[in-house]
Amino acid sequence: MAKKKKRVGIFSFTCDEGCSIFLVEIFNKKLAGWLEKIELVYFLSIKDHTDAKNMDIAVVEGSITSEEDKKRIENIRKNSKILIGMGSCAITGMPSCYRNNLNKEQLKEISGHLKKFKFLPKCMGIKEVVKLDGEVPGCPMDDKKFIEVFEKYI
Amino acid sequence: MHKCDLDISINKLSKIEGHADLDIKIRNGKAREVNLRVEENRRFYMQAVEGKPALAAPQMVSRICGTCSVAHLTCAIEAVEKALGVKSSEQTIIMRKLMMYSLMIRDHALHLYFFALPDIFGIDSILDLANNKKELIHEALHIKEAGNNLSNLIGGRAVHAPFEVVGGFVNMVDNKKVKPIVKELKSIRKYVLNLAEIFYQCQWELKRDTNFVALTTDDFSFLEGKICDSRGTCTMEKNYGKRLTKVVMPYSQAKGFEFEGSEYMVGSLSRLNLNQGSLREKTKKSMKKYLKLFPSDNIYLNNLAQAIEIMHSIDHSIELLENTEFKKEEIIKPKKQNGKGVGVVEAPRGTLYYSMEIKNGKIKKAGIATPTAQNLLNMREDLRELVSGVCQSANPKNQWEKIIKKQAERIIRAYDPCMSCASHFLKVNWK
Repeated sequence: MAKKKKRVGIFSFTCDEGCSIFLVEIFNKKLAGWLEKIELVYFLSIKDHTDAKNMDIAVVEGSITSEEDKKRIENIRKNSKILIGMGSCAITGMPSCYRNNLNKEQLKEISGHLKKFKFLPKCMGIKEVVKLDGEVPGCPMDDKKFIEVFEKYI
Repeated sequence: MHKCDLDISINKLSKIEGHADLDIKIRNGKAREVNLRVEENRRFYMQAVEGKPALAAPQMVSRICGTCSVAHLTCAIEAVEKALGVKSSEQTIIMRKLMMYSLMIRDHALHLYFFALPDIFGIDSILDLANNKKELIHEALHIKEAGNNLSNLIGGRAVHAPFEVVGGFVNMVDNKKVKPIVKELKSIRKYVLNLAEIFYQCQWELKRDTNFVALTTDDFSFLEGKICDSRGTCTMEKNYGKRLTKVVMPYSQAKGFEFEGSEYMVGSLSRLNLNQGSLREKTKKSMKKYLKLFPSDNIYLNNLAQAIEIMHSIDHSIELLENTEFKKEEIIKPKKQNGKGVGVVEAPRGTLYYSMEIKNGKIKKAGIATPTAQNLLNMREDLRELVSGVCQSANPKNQWEKIIKKQAERIIRAYDPCMSCASHFLKVNWK
């Protein structure tokens, strides 16, 4: 019997989405081979119809800066066996969490925005909020490392 | 006419860069409210960059957008160089042009194949073509890879290129690697012709009289020139910010811009409307049939314009690579530590503006106007136009909502918007 394809979702949180763009560049050479082993169930950048439940692998990028971000990542963690963090924002929060380092005056300037859009008191890496099973550091992430980590799970 | 009252909501528009929602409130056949809400959480780079060393600032703001990081990097470098009196070498300018071309090739191809084509074929994703049009996926990946390889050759990487800095490039181009890149670029020309034909055949139309604005350059290189508009005025790069007015958009994490007090469009369509004469001769010849459609008010032709720009980027890159023997050069150091400077480049999605005020070698104030933020008001007016058109059409009333939803998404996608960029905007208006 043919092996069942792994259900894979790719998700962006607060960031520049450079890692998922870089992932699409990795696709140039790798996608055809991977599609024999995986089914892409969620990738909003290139797909409309999405189904982010019962995933084998979720690949996530970005930082957790708002209440909405936090709810979403907790839900994805529940719905995926393996969670891989792409890039430095997912692991450390930086560079997307610069607001944690702003001075008093700057914070005052942005406070209205933070309140209006329900930002959390502190911006965090995904790793600080939920458990990551695999990590790919770099800004953008290191491509060779990503291939190594991803191929371990598919 | 039937009464046209509808409340339309689209959550999480797909196949765009970043996160946005759309609400349209229609009363009596008119769009009373059009709220395009950019839901991309702000990361406050314009604040974060204050106090940082000016020479490090461009790599930092490059992180505003992973998609067009090369444009942010190049534009911020230009602003810092102008502020600190750095004049780039001829070779540096050639290499920056090649970086911008590599970006256009990759980024336009991503938009056209991955985001725009599915609408034309009525499918969800390009991956759904795996059964009956597999060659198109192959062509898409091949074009993107050629752009990617050109980025690697010149800048060290496609996203957040490490070699490009204030005063030059920290790494010398390996002349031995140039030939295979030229060969690869030549090999993808035929795919670009196929791509252009698909968008040429597409009959979609939404025409509206608006102002088209673009940095017009002598060689269509996206880098240096005068900013002109279709109403017939031109302005110097350093004065561009003064002609923009920031417009608050309720419920959105982004703000829009007016140019000389009204909405306007920036992007590939504007560039071709204003400057098609500056394309490479080879491009003009290959794309003759398609170029006849410009200038145009039809927003959907932005897609065809992108395909034409891919071809130009390939053709000019080949010429530059074949005629340059790359040499090792020293990085040019700033002559001073204080000053104000403006950088303007044409990013894939349109005119990108940076202003930098530097004191004692550190950023005192930084400002930015991104292409998508500049296009937000124009998109809003196009959506209004769409609504009145559909509400006056002969389509059965029970289908209006469906038609508006579908076409609204298409129109927004035609702009190739980038919400990561849109959530960053000019903090101060310099007088």
